[in-house]
Amino acid sequence: MHLIIGGAYQGKRQFAEERFGLKTEDIFSCAGEDPDFSHKCLDRLEEFTLACVKAGRDSVAFFRENRERWEDSALILGDISAGVVPVDAEMRAWREENGRLGRYLAEQAESVHRIFCGLEQRLK
Amino acid sequence: MTALIVGGSKSGKSSLAQQLAVELAGDGKRYYLATMLPRDGEDLARIARHLEDRAGMGFETVEQGKNLPGCLSRADRSGTFLLDSVTALLTNEFFPPELDYVPDYAAGQRVGDDILSLGGQVKHLVVVADDIFRDAARYDETTERYRKALADILCRVAERADTVVEMAMGNPVVHKGVLNL
Repeated sequence: MHLIIGGAYQGKRQFAEERFGLKTEDIFSCAGEDPDFSHKCLDRLEEFTLACVKAGRDSVAFFRENRERWEDSALILGDISAGVVPVDAEMRAWREENGRLGRYLAEQAESVHRIFCGLEQRLK
Repeated sequence: MTALIVGGSKSGKSSLAQQLAVELAGDGKRYYLATMLPRDGEDLARIARHLEDRAGMGFETVEQGKNLPGCLSRADRSGTFLLDSVTALLTNEFFPPELDYVPDYAAGQRVGDDILSLGGQVKHLVVVADDIFRDAARYDETTERYRKALADILCRVAERADTVVEMAMGNPVVHKGVLNL
C-alpha cells in the first residue's frame, strides 16, 4: 500500500494519478461512507474518519479488519493535524481519529508520500 | 530566480525570505513589496514590527496591495523583489475593500497570473505565503474557496519556482532546488 498525505488542495490526488497511473474510474472519493475497496485508490479518507467520529466507530479497527482488501491500494489521507485546537468537540475528536488512522496506515505502508504545494516529499 | 517560502504563523518565513533576498540581490536593488492594506491597529503594529525587522537591510519599500506587476513602474527590473505575502495580496483582491469585501472568485487566477508575470520579468523574486491547509475545521464556502485559491496559486508558483522551502519552527525544509544561505 502507498499512502499519500498532505494538506488541503496540495495536489495529492493529481500526484497519485500520475505516480500510479490511475484513471478517474480507479479512484473512490470518500464522502463519509465506508471506502469501496474495489477501487485501486481511495481518496479523501479524512471524510471517512469524520464519519467514524459521528457514528462512534473506530476507523483503525475497520482498516485492520479489512487489511487484505487495501494491501495493494493507494490511499490518500488529508492532513488536518495542524492549526488551533478546535473549540468544537467533534472537530477535536476528528483530528485525533484522523491522526490515529494516519499513523496506522503510515506504519503499514510500503511508501509514504507527503505532498506540499504540488511537490512530493518522500517520507518512507 | 524565483523562490517560494511557505510556513505557519511565526515560523520564521519572513526572516528567511529577507536573508535570501539580501543574498540574491548582492549589490543590486532590493525591493520589499508591501501588500498589507492596514485595517486596524493590530495591522499597523504588525507593519511597524516588519519595518523594524527590515531596517538596515537596505530594502526599498514599494506599496503594492493589488495588481502586482504595477510595481514595475516604480522599480528596476534587475533588482530583487520580496513579496511578503501572497496571503495578504490574495486577501486584498479576493475581498476588495472598495467593493464592500464582496468575494471576487476570479481573484485567485488573477493573482497567480500576476505573480508568474512578475517572476518572469525581474531578476529575482522571493515569494512568502502562509500554510493554512492543515487544520481540522469545516469552513463556510467562501473561506474554503479562499483557501483553495491560495493553494492553487502556491502550486502554480511552486511548479515554476527554482526553489521551494517550507519553514518549520525556524527550520527550512527544502522541497525543490537548493537554498544557498
